[in-house]
Amino acid sequence: MVATRAGVRRVDDDGLALWGFGDRAVDVLFDGRRVWSFWLERDTRTTVPGVRSIDWPSALRKFLDGQTRLTVTEHVSGRVLYDQERAFGTAGTRIEIVGRSGAPISLDKSNRISPTFDTRSRADVLPLLTAISTVLDAIASAGIDAFLAYGTLLGAIREQKFLGHDSDADLAYVSAHSHPADVVRESFRLQRAVQERGFHTYRYSGAAFRIDVEEGDGVVRGLDVFAGFIDETSLGSVLYVMGEIAADFQRDWVYPLRTCTLEGQSFPAPAVPERWLEASYGPSWAVPDPAFQFTTSDRTVRQLSGWFRGTSTNRAAWERAYSGARGKLPTAKPSPLARKAASYLSSGGTVIDLGAGRGADSLWLARQGLSVRAYDYVPSAAQAVQQTATDEELDLDVRMVNLNEWRTVLAEGARMSRVDGPRVMIARHTADATNRFGRQALARFASMSLRGGGRLLLDVWTGPGRTPDRLKPVPIDEVARDLTAQGARILVTRERPAREGSQRSSRGRLVAQWD
Amino acid sequence: MGLKDAAGRLKPKLGLGDADLARRVEALEADVLELRRHNVRLAEIADVVQELLVPLASRDQARIDEAIEKFSRSL
Repeated sequence: MVATRAGVRRVDDDGLALWGFGDRAVDVLFDGRRVWSFWLERDTRTTVPGVRSIDWPSALRKFLDGQTRLTVTEHVSGRVLYDQERAFGTAGTRIEIVGRSGAPISLDKSNRISPTFDTRSRADVLPLLTAISTVLDAIASAGIDAFLAYGTLLGAIREQKFLGHDSDADLAYVSAHSHPADVVRESFRLQRAVQERGFHTYRYSGAAFRIDVEEGDGVVRGLDVFAGFIDETSLGSVLYVMGEIAADFQRDWVYPLRTCTLEGQSFPAPAVPERWLEASYGPSWAVPDPAFQFTTSDRTVRQLSGWFRGTSTNRAAWERAYSGARGKLPTAKPSPLARKAASYLSSGGTVIDLGAGRGADSLWLARQGLSVRAYDYVPSAAQAVQQTATDEELDLDVRMVNLNEWRTVLAEGARMSRVDGPRVMIARHTADATNRFGRQALARFASMSLRGGGRLLLDVWTGPGRTPDRLKPVPIDEVARDLTAQGARILVTRERPAREGSQRSSRGRLVAQWD
Repeated sequence: MGLKDAAGRLKPKLGLGDADLARRVEALEADVLELRRHNVRLAEIADVVQELLVPLASRDQARIDEAIEKFSRSL
């Protein structure tokens, strides 16, 4: 690769323009602190011949109001391409790129703003190191030898510390199983082993979960645990690791494990860590790259997605949607569906609010004297409602159900099947918030919860026309078919078109009963 | 070797046109995906049965409730 010298031609409120040939990682520093990295060619666009432009990432843009010493350097050589006092926007103060807790933050390789390790003190990361040891021990107690992987292993092998631009810690193991279904079962079992040690865990897929670790100053850091397995056939031996790796590999390059040093402590590593790192990052793994991007082949993505993914579709989008409102009590009035449920249960009973969101309906229903079980993909969205209900001594319980995961549907369905007395389930824009698999799971959950005379009241956007964000219209007949397949008797289906001149989608209302 | 490469080699032998072959490959990929997807669901069912069947067989309601609660917490 031919590489020329490079330089910065322009810096303004929109972004940077640089010159130079030959791709390389470039760091952008604010008052001497790395905040963002990108590749000179890969991540930029050519505006005029010889000039490469890149916009400020949206996550960074909101901080660009004030003054800073702006420095641009080549990551590997350290060569300074730009170093000047700059003003952005109108504020006269220094630009401070910090998170809600006041901790310095920067952009990780996915351009997400996070408290990357280069902003952390040794005291800050000590709880993470302790958590890694505890989690490794919990996994070992379940019979699996896990080790440092991905960026954490790379940091340990290359620098004996966390990579400055990394934002989470990673563990992996190679299963003794070779069938993906067994690998998934084992991952479920390991999550339980870790959860029993008192950690809060979060499942990404059938082969990966996260442990939330609180650091010294309250920053919550993700510790990921990835499953791998080796598929041995007559054609060879291929290692698959969630979520990026497929490589020709020998089991004895992993086990027995050896040790490596991370932040002054000893941790397990694969037997030949160089082989593992090459499988993860390619042959240039030893060259530092703060803006690394996986170039996982389409086939590997198809394989890993097919075997392991599909259990948390759209969850991150819903979490983001609710993150701003966390802790705030919703002020929305009760929906017509909630009022209808209350009128059905005029002499008391239980409302199962499926897809409760922030819980406005749930709280209103509980205040009418009803027992309420509020279910959502993102139960933290209804935290404030749960707290208020507890303070007011109302019978309201917020719980998680994931319609893309049968286990939650079956376990919570079993729980709801035990509820005595009249039951009504409301599902307000839940069928249109999920996919086909989720709608079938909704029908299954309703069937388990409502057998013996329980009713389901369901609202759905049916299209054509505009729907709110993250909701996709579904024909009412399709919803009815899925419910009927689970034993429902459809009492009412009604569609109401949008008002004349409105761009909005039509709405559907459905009432079903399980006898 | 990916499916598309294999298909490219087979094409002259089968006497298929490009569009036809592309459709067949697409359908084949969808079929493979459908089969792969059974893995996670099979594992889910096995997990639920294993974790909840024993307490359910005990017919001890308190034990059953506790088992469901514990299971749900781990998801």
